[in-house]
Amino acid sequence: MKIRTGDITTHVQHLPAAVREGQQGEPPVVVFVHGLLTDSLASYYFTLGPAFAAAGIDVIMYDLRGHGRSERPSSGYQVECFVDDLIALLDALGERRQVHLVGNSFGGTVAAGAAAWYPERIATLTLIEAEPPVQRWTRHMAEGLALAKEQLVHEEVIDWIKENRGAQTARLSRIAGRILNSTTLGQEVWSGRVIDDDLSAITCPVLAIFGEESGLVAQVPLFESALDRCRTVVLPDQGHSVLVERTKETRDLLLEWIREHDLPQHHDGHREHRGHRAPVHQLAEALR
Amino acid sequence: MTTDATGVAPAQPQNGAQARTDPGAVLADIAGMLRELLEEYGLDEAEIGRETTFHDDLELESIDLVSLSGSLREHYGDRVNFAEFVADLELDEIIALTVGQLVDFVVESLRATEAG
Repeated sequence: MKIRTGDITTHVQHLPAAVREGQQGEPPVVVFVHGLLTDSLASYYFTLGPAFAAAGIDVIMYDLRGHGRSERPSSGYQVECFVDDLIALLDALGERRQVHLVGNSFGGTVAAGAAAWYPERIATLTLIEAEPPVQRWTRHMAEGLALAKEQLVHEEVIDWIKENRGAQTARLSRIAGRILNSTTLGQEVWSGRVIDDDLSAITCPVLAIFGEESGLVAQVPLFESALDRCRTVVLPDQGHSVLVERTKETRDLLLEWIREHDLPQHHDGHREHRGHRAPVHQLAEALR
Repeated sequence: MTTDATGVAPAQPQNGAQARTDPGAVLADIAGMLRELLEEYGLDEAEIGRETTFHDDLELESIDLVSLSGSLREHYGDRVNFAEFVADLELDEIIALTVGQLVDFVVESLRATEAG
């Protein structure tokens, strides 16, 4: 369905938790955040989503602004806009539980921003091949996006991608070029709010999964030293596409993580925030 | 999708008498849903049969398949669980998915709920 989140309309898919025998209280809820440009909620719908619902977890998947079937405004693509959309989505859905946020690639950047700026809404944060919105990240993005914007409009580049990476990637690259050339995303996404390099703004438990051959794995020492409650996992012989190429391992790691952090009894002081949530907003608009 | 929390009424499943369960009728229903989807891309002339593939023939993206799941839910209610269907498929199987495979799944789901 599509719902109003702030100034845009967002495409959401909710898979309700399967009822489990002997279950008490509300099930945990996980929110999956997808990556930039060539991505959509489909990446989760066809990988982790249904398995998590079957495991007794409420699953929320949505398309980021400018992506999939969500609205594509011409501007408003700083990382905090994406974070605000996520919080507006939780409000529109009347979600009062603290959520387990899972972000893949840029989705992890958005999820980390949400964990830093709205800690009361977040139970745990999982980053799959992702970097939080720190200064260093903005440089990576600015360079990569400028190149993509310039290259992905050329038919010969799309043809090269088709020959070397397959028709599906070529089609997605064409869509990415279209987003970059019809919106200000390429200039804006890295130009917004950042968190300090020491990651001190992130206080919830963090699970970070990397591919051994990805450049992002260099963050492991920082994560382990800077974050109090952090588990890092490095998958051998694996590049950036952890979610689609190592789906089963990612699923098992994440299910175990959520079970560990959402047991019925909590003696953890951090759980005392439960119940002190922002007021539940009415669903502004529902379109099917 | 719908939940009570959204305040949106769930899609009403059609009764057995209304939802047609023979494969030809289901194919016609699904082809209709796909045409609606394709219209948004200005492609309403596509021929759709059992052997038609979603990705290569109709050039639909995986996000369009997610949209199709919404149409299926509106039409058949909870009797057809598309998410469960795709959960059993590998990514390359989803990319190679044909309309006929989906028709068979829908027919099977409808008949299972009738029998139950």
